[in-house]
Amino acid sequence: MLPAPKVSKRRRGGRYSWWAPYVFIGPFVILFLIFTVYPLLYSVVMAMQYNDGPKSTAFVGLTNFKRVLTDPVFWRAMRNTFVFAAASIFIQLPCSLGLALLLNREDIKARGFWRLIFFSPVLVGLAFVAVMFGLIFEKNTGLLNVLLVDGTQWLHGLLPFIPVWDKEFPWLQEWVLTAIIIASFWMYVGFNMVYFLAALQSVSKELLEAAEVDGANAWHRFLNVTIPAIKPVAMFVVLLSFLGSMQLFELPYLLLGPGGGPQNEGLTVVMYLFEYGFNAGNLGYASAVGWILAVILFAFAMLQKVLAGKDGI
Amino acid sequence: MSAGPRFQPFEILSLGGWVILTLAVLSSLAIAVWPVKKVEGLELWTFAKNHGQLYQQLSVGYNEEARAEGREPVNVFVIDGAALTRRTLSGFWSGTPLADLIEVERNAMPGYVKGPIDDVGFIDLTDRLHGEEIAPGVSIYEGLNEPSFAPWSSRGRIFGLPHDVHPVMLVYRSDLVEAAGIDVTEIETWDDFVRVMGPLQTDLDGDGSTDRWLLDNWFTNYNNLESLILQAGGGTFDADDNLIVDSDANAMVLARMVSWCRGDTRISVDAPDFSASGNQLKLEGKVIAGIMPDWLAGIWKSDLPQLGGKVKLMPLPAWEPGGRRTSVKGGTMIGIPKATREKGGPERFEAAWEVAKHLYLSRELAREVFGSSCIISPVKAFWSEDFYHQPDPFFSGQQIGTRFLELAPSVPFRSSNTYHVFALGRIGQAMAKLYTEAEARGIDDLTQLEARAAELLAVEAEQVREEMSYNVFMQQDQAEAGQGGRVENGGGDE
Repeated sequence: MLPAPKVSKRRRGGRYSWWAPYVFIGPFVILFLIFTVYPLLYSVVMAMQYNDGPKSTAFVGLTNFKRVLTDPVFWRAMRNTFVFAAASIFIQLPCSLGLALLLNREDIKARGFWRLIFFSPVLVGLAFVAVMFGLIFEKNTGLLNVLLVDGTQWLHGLLPFIPVWDKEFPWLQEWVLTAIIIASFWMYVGFNMVYFLAALQSVSKELLEAAEVDGANAWHRFLNVTIPAIKPVAMFVVLLSFLGSMQLFELPYLLLGPGGGPQNEGLTVVMYLFEYGFNAGNLGYASAVGWILAVILFAFAMLQKVLAGKDGI
Repeated sequence: MSAGPRFQPFEILSLGGWVILTLAVLSSLAIAVWPVKKVEGLELWTFAKNHGQLYQQLSVGYNEEARAEGREPVNVFVIDGAALTRRTLSGFWSGTPLADLIEVERNAMPGYVKGPIDDVGFIDLTDRLHGEEIAPGVSIYEGLNEPSFAPWSSRGRIFGLPHDVHPVMLVYRSDLVEAAGIDVTEIETWDDFVRVMGPLQTDLDGDGSTDRWLLDNWFTNYNNLESLILQAGGGTFDADDNLIVDSDANAMVLARMVSWCRGDTRISVDAPDFSASGNQLKLEGKVIAGIMPDWLAGIWKSDLPQLGGKVKLMPLPAWEPGGRRTSVKGGTMIGIPKATREKGGPERFEAAWEVAKHLYLSRELAREVFGSSCIISPVKAFWSEDFYHQPDPFFSGQQIGTRFLELAPSVPFRSSNTYHVFALGRIGQAMAKLYTEAEARGIDDLTQLEARAAELLAVEAEQVREEMSYNVFMQQDQAEAGQGGRVENGGGDE
């Protein structure tokens, strides 16, 4: 048997030299180091400084972290953000799944049209949504209050025990979180529906038919066939929803202003961070808030990984 | 011999990919080669559309003269308020391009003067204002309404020329009031207002709920809150920079405002300015009166022309007999960033200073500003000019300039403390909590409300003190100076 011919290093990998892969990934790595890693590490340093704008800094050690953790406004913002996240996960996602199940049925006419209708709100900008819902939620003349007053007045005529809606119902003053959840629901329910739709396409029809033959009703088929099949996508959507909710900023900021409305009812953690970092110029304090938020998000992601088990993402 | 490999574009990228790549290349080239119009001369940024229109008008003549004399012309740009604040802060903190002159709104100013006094981004004009004359023997500082400088000063230094005085009156639907036979001269205090105007508060459509209310005001309206607490002698910080968030005057106002918003003592409705909902309520006669600074009179003329001839002004009801009959709301100044001098030397600063004086201290501008927006100039020498004392058909023939000017000397002090906006926000939160508690527990008694307001304000005052305690630069400044900042004669350098 003849020995294998010696192949030079140059020829072994084809036309390219050993350094070629590094050249190709180099631009990304350089940009990543400059615009992601360096700012991340520098923000750790900044979190231990007091700033009045970038030019005026003073080292304060862990004071910023202590200040964040003892500020009742921060905890109010954290509570608001978690409530919003919970509403996203436990109200919005089930509705998205419900819509997806409905629009996955082959007996629904013009499914493509309905999918577009439900998905399209996410295509408009958040600023537009905030302005629009600001008008919808206005007292006295806002669309929602006007419709509810007219509707309940008509019902009251038929069933006098039904009270007439208060035309001055203060959506943006006393029911702030509810208003934000409604606006966000309108905007994102179709977006999450698309993920679920894609997942439902991959559910095995043979399994569903077999389950039906075995006597499983629709609910049992949903619980025992559909849910396990879409679980990986569902866990991904839950994680995305949670991460997105924890970073909620534009909608309440534009709807309510920097303070988040009366008693900071609509203030979120990122609004709190923005206010201190970019309006007050205390970038150090904002960095500390950012790191605390990052730790919370990381902890949640790890918890979800554990709960999801090997089937999750 | 075989032909060379054929170029197969769709093996490299899909059609969509080629479209995106083409668009990316074309747009990059367009950005790179598109000519950017260079602005010649000075740049002035303002946030107010009516100011911008006026300055553009006035700058035409000024620019012709300036070019003829070899001076820099001025270019006016109107930028949204929030965007202007962002750009200004960005310029101060990171050196991004700034205009040569910037108009600043009252609530934006504390953010600009937060750090060490020498790091404030605007040029200190204190010496200029005390050294230059507006008339023979009268310095600019002496020639202007002194309280107008307060919001633009920090730690004894003045950073801009004030634009206005902004006294506040009460606007009311004279058609409805006079038709009901009500004599407004009987009203001296807020209690008188409630009693005298009371019969006008009514159910208009017979559905059992009140439709017409006496006052456009709500517990969430921070601008009205500030005007009313200042009128009462309260506020955020006093003239000596002492925190007065937990003052008795503030507690009294909070209690009254909450009582006006709920229960049997309710007289208020939420009809915010600049909103469709608020304007509709006003046009439909569902709100009788509102708090009106001079600038809002101009806004109503343009936004609510249907109310022409149906409204009049009267002094604000006082909180107690003999009390103050006015307050203040809003404010604007023009400042010159240090970057102006850094990029163009002392000559550019001098050119910008001349523009600022031309716009803010000229009789022509004072007349135009009053004519278009009803704003009173802070230049006291103009207060006797005819244009302020003409009957105004929108306000049923009243000489509104005269009425605002009568109140101008009584305008209360406005704090320039860097924590003013933060402290005002905390007072607002205290009021929101008081309202919520009053609603939940049905508290109608004023004494109880006032006592609870005092407790809530004490908590908020502690929050403000704690926030201020973290400001290491303020602590250093105070340690060096011996006390907080206030408007003083002299001091400062350019």
